[in-house]
Amino acid sequence: MARRDQARAEAAFLRGDTGVDGAATDLDQRDAAEVERGKAREQLLRGRTWLGRELLTWLLWRSEGGDPVAEVDGTGVVVLFTDRVVLRGVTGDVTELGARGPEAPYAPEVRRALDVGLLVHQARLQFQHGEKEYLATLDAEFLDVRAAKLPDLMSEEEDDRAAERLWLAEQLGRFVDALTAAFLEERRGRGWTKTVAAMKKWMAP
Amino acid sequence: MPVLSGAVTFARFRAEPASGRSDPKRWLSRGLARKAFQPLEVRKAEADRSAGFVELEDHDAVAFAVGAVFQGEHALFSWRVDTLRVLASAVKAELDKWATAFAAEQGRPPAKREKAQRKDEVRQFLRQRATPTSRTFDVSWNLATGEVAVWAASRKLVEEVAAEMEEAFAVKLAPASASAGAVRAGIPEEALAPTPALFGDFGGRGEVARGKA
Repeated sequence: MARRDQARAEAAFLRGDTGVDGAATDLDQRDAAEVERGKAREQLLRGRTWLGRELLTWLLWRSEGGDPVAEVDGTGVVVLFTDRVVLRGVTGDVTELGARGPEAPYAPEVRRALDVGLLVHQARLQFQHGEKEYLATLDAEFLDVRAAKLPDLMSEEEDDRAAERLWLAEQLGRFVDALTAAFLEERRGRGWTKTVAAMKKWMAP
Repeated sequence: MPVLSGAVTFARFRAEPASGRSDPKRWLSRGLARKAFQPLEVRKAEADRSAGFVELEDHDAVAFAVGAVFQGEHALFSWRVDTLRVLASAVKAELDKWATAFAAEQGRPPAKREKAQRKDEVRQFLRQRATPTSRTFDVSWNLATGEVAVWAASRKLVEEVAAEMEEAFAVKLAPASASAGAVRAGIPEEALAPTPALFGDFGGRGEVARGKA
């Protein structure tokens, strides 16, 4: 065995990665799973990310009916989850699960995963506000807006177009704020237990 | 310039106070000037990165004239980051070339100390020939509502810009997260613990409730 290989084998043994026979120890596998769960847990605790995951999961449940979930400027905001969704959890063997497809977020496979404690961490959402339609990806931790698609601009002058684009981007932010406020209002109320029971029933039909 | 065209990706904050100054335009221009971008000085060995505010439509301009910064109720500007990078592979190639020449001339390979000394010289030489890479990230600030958007995807960068803005303008930027929304809505800490029925048991509510907004 070359000197470098021998040094590597010794280092792996000293770390407890391998036994005297050179084979990987069971301890290593267990540690990897624990490390993964530890990371998932840390992600959940950072900045109370669980609230964002509860919000997106609640929104998924609420949006299935197609009714407005909140109001902005007196007009309802209708939300539809589209294309892809990422679920994350902290227990069990799976800490992250992605689903992709036109109806994927509402599919029974996703609902079953939600039922075992994997909640929505990132999703692509469509917002319908009056005649305007917006698309954006949101994440649970910061509710940052990513890869958004704004409605077509109506203005022709360059300065006006810039102002309109800013206004539309801010509208998107207002939708997210309104949905967050609606969620927090429901979550702080006495009816939250009933809401959760209804969500759980929906997850495991 | 993503504010004006291109990918719509941004992180949102709420400035507290929203602007709150008697002459917001002057106050904002002063804040921007305080953290204005300064070009990297290639001859100075210690700095490989320089960052600061520049005007939105001219990334070399740091005058921050009212006409260049304000558009209606918005203040628009950019955060410019210049970095000077010397590739490790380029240093290694130069060093190998030198080591070969050294061995041929001296009849022995260079000692560790000689190699380390030469490495520093090579790095410095390559650094002076390198061109800084420049990136800019737009910031829009609605002075009427206090809504701030940092038009960048990298969270590390978003946090850097937010921290610099807090310092430059003496404001607090609260993120637009669900957690911050709950704090703003006055929901008590104990009511913010995860809903066990949704997450399942993962070590008790008390431990989880220690997470900070």
